[in-house]
Amino acid sequence: MKKIIHLTINELDHEIAVEPNKTLADLLRYDLKLTGTKKGCDTGDCGACTVIMNGDPVNSCLVLAVQTNGSRIETVEGLSTDEGIHPIQKAFVEKGAIQCGYCTPGMIMSTKSLLDKNPNPSEQEIREGISGNLCRCTGYTKIFEAIESLRS
Amino acid sequence: MLLPKFEFHEPGSIKEALELKKKWGSTARFLAGGTDLLVHLKKKIITTDHIISLQRIESLARITAHPDFVEIGACATMAAISETPVIQAKFSALKSGVDNIGTHLIRNRATLGGNVCNASPAGDSLPALLIYKALVLLESLDGKREVPIEEFFKGPGKTDMKADEILTGFRLPNPPVHSGAHYIQLGKRKSSEINVVNVASFLEFDPKTKKIIDARIALGSVAATPIRSLKAEALLKGKIAEETSFYEAGEKARFEDCKPIDDFRGSAAYRRAMVGVLTKRTLTTAFKLAGR
Ligand SMILES: Cc1cc2nc3c(=O)[nH]c(=O)nc-3n(C[C@H](O)[C@H](O)[C@H](O)COP(=O)(O)OP(=O)(O)OC[C@H]3O[C@@H](n4cnc5c(N)ncnc54)[C@H](O)[C@@H]3O)c2cc1C
Ligand code: FES
Ligand code: FES
Repeated sequence: MKKIIHLTINELDHEIAVEPNKTLADLLRYDLKLTGTKKGCDTGDCGACTVIMNGDPVNSCLVLAVQTNGSRIETVEGLSTDEGIHPIQKAFVEKGAIQCGYCTPGMIMSTKSLLDKNPNPSEQEIREGISGNLCRCTGYTKIFEAIESLRS
Repeated sequence: MLLPKFEFHEPGSIKEALELKKKWGSTARFLAGGTDLLVHLKKKIITTDHIISLQRIESLARITAHPDFVEIGACATMAAISETPVIQAKFSALKSGVDNIGTHLIRNRATLGGNVCNASPAGDSLPALLIYKALVLLESLDGKREVPIEEFFKGPGKTDMKADEILTGFRLPNPPVHSGAHYIQLGKRKSSEINVVNVASFLEFDPKTKKIIDARIALGSVAATPIRSLKAEALLKGKIAEETSFYEAGEKARFEDCKPIDDFRGSAAYRRAMVGVLTKRTLTTAFKLAGR
């Protein structure tokens, strides 16, 4: 039986009827067409599905949509404004931190959460901050450099 | 990957959760962080008709410091436990255990109760719970029950919890003065790795005589459940706290207290060797911390 949930996604309020067995990742991608959030493994290993839930980054493939009733969700689509893309997105582009781009939305959401909590992370803290996100292309060096360039 | 169809329940109290569990019996499962349950459902390792979410029961997520002990709610997340001052100050081996679970994304959801109910021999929080003498707090509609953690694990994925019970939390007595503890897990990489061997040690000593008053050692990934290394512990009591004693304890743990197996993560012989090394190292650090 579908359940009605209320949640905020990128500062927009939603009221949605969801099947209990639908994950947050699938709700975002298939029902709301917010396909910026990717699915790689669907089992918590790769971080492609990272979104920020009530201030904390989580694997949206391991959260049921019904569990997000009353929550605040931030996805990669919420980052850009009328002025253009977000400084994190800009840094990733400029430093060549994107190759195929599949890991990028998750990587950027982890970076956002890291910098929101700690605007000046150490090398170690940067590495830990993206340790839940796998990238098969870049070898991480350029991603690391992009985040490093954002330190205040 | 599709999840099977199930009905979703979101009780607001422990009593309500227990009533639902009683009603649906073995066709219902509790959901805490979901990092084991949802993966197992997706991989079709288990099935369920009803999911009873515990996330709206606030009391289950609490961590409270009392004068003589700390109580950690079953649904406290690994991230919350790691950030709690009393855990950092008095239960550093537990902090390091929970910090080693998965990735920070997983730790924002995964709960201590879920790690214990999952009862993996390699579970990262379990050795620390063993050396701190945690009591497992269980509740059913008939009443409450407390089980020492070393009696709780019955095999891989098997525990002493009954079908009509819920795990409400853990009670950890404050460690005595002049004591210290440490945890080390050995995996193949730093993040998100299933352990090859994981060891926690606790040591209490008399600063006047340097003699060891009490020692507890817990070994993970070398038997069907996490286990205490009782012979090594017995050997340590009364000995002078120094490197040679720690080495001897490591040898005892390695040859007499564990029954590791060969698998693709490591051979039994390698695991044994590492039990020796990690036992000695965790004891050495525990002793350093005890002397502060
Ligand atoms: C990518 C990834 C990496 C991981 N890495 C590690 C690791 O490094 N080390 C490690 O030890 N584990 C690891 N895990 C396993 C898992 O994250 C932990 O075991 C976690 O602590 C489980 O907690 P949970 O709250 O998510 O449990 P859930 O999945 O919600 O529940 C697990 C089981 O316990 C039962 N349960 C939960 N709470 C209660 C309760 N209060 N009362 C009764 N029954 C209950 C559930 O019904 C279910 O059967 C990893 C998992 C993933 C997906
Ligand atoms: S898709 Fe969620 S972690 Fe890989
Ligand atoms: S850019 Fe291809 S996976 Fe990271």
